[in-house]
Amino acid sequence: MSEGATESRLSELPGDLMMWVLIVSELLVFGAGLAAFLAVRTTDTGGFAEAQDLLDRTAGGINTAVLVTSGLCAALAVRWRRAHRRLGARLWLGAAALLGGLFLWVKAVEYGDKIAAGIGTETHPFFTFYYLLTGFHAAHVAAGIIILGLIAWRDSLNNLETGTAFWHMVDLVWVLLFPVIYLLR
Amino acid sequence: MIGLIGDSLWRGWAGLLILSLASTLAAQWVGAGIATPLIGALILALAYFKARLILSRYLGLAATPFWNRGFGMVLGGYMAGLLVLYLIPLR
Repeated sequence: MSEGATESRLSELPGDLMMWVLIVSELLVFGAGLAAFLAVRTTDTGGFAEAQDLLDRTAGGINTAVLVTSGLCAALAVRWRRAHRRLGARLWLGAAALLGGLFLWVKAVEYGDKIAAGIGTETHPFFTFYYLLTGFHAAHVAAGIIILGLIAWRDSLNNLETGTAFWHMVDLVWVLLFPVIYLLR
Repeated sequence: MIGLIGDSLWRGWAGLLILSLASTLAAQWVGAGIATPLIGALILALAYFKARLILSRYLGLAATPFWNRGFGMVLGGYMAGLLVLYLIPLR
């Protein structure tokens, strides 16, 4: 493919190219983490299944619904901004951030319950991965909430497209993390 | 309401909720007489479709078939790899 054709293909990507570089990088990191989780699981499937039974699948399921709804709000914010409805776009961003906060609150309750039950990173390799992967993801959710606040303040269309793309990446990672860590037996 | 049904974003969101619910329900079938590897494969397949929905609807790749197809193929290969890792201990 010629250089011009490559540039043309890259320009087809919605939003900022650097955000796509970040999205792909993050997917590779989390993807490697999940693959490592399943690889280690092959050495102790019984132990992983017992450890997984200690997770709160309902909380994980609720958080999935919360995060995909938050993603919808972020996508609607971009749509409203394109239509020059800035206040509405900001309100959608606020709703997305609030739902992100709810996700973190549910996650904090989940962590609190585990810690109260004496379950830490050293309890079993399953929980090492659990805390590492879901904790790293929660850090991205926290960063995403800050980004949503920033783009609500500096609300150019380009900023909204770029910032919400980060939020959707966080969403995308969760829909892969949740089934592998919480549901696969 | 009819407007929402015809809207690709809202339909994508509804699809994500339905697929998430389906995978949570599928996980409850373990020990109910259905082969565990089949349930695991179903859960991974549902995760793949959820990821595709987010890429195409939320991230807007539906508007660029080249990238939508490319991401779909790489993601499909990755999910197949996860399936292999999941099935290794069940041999």
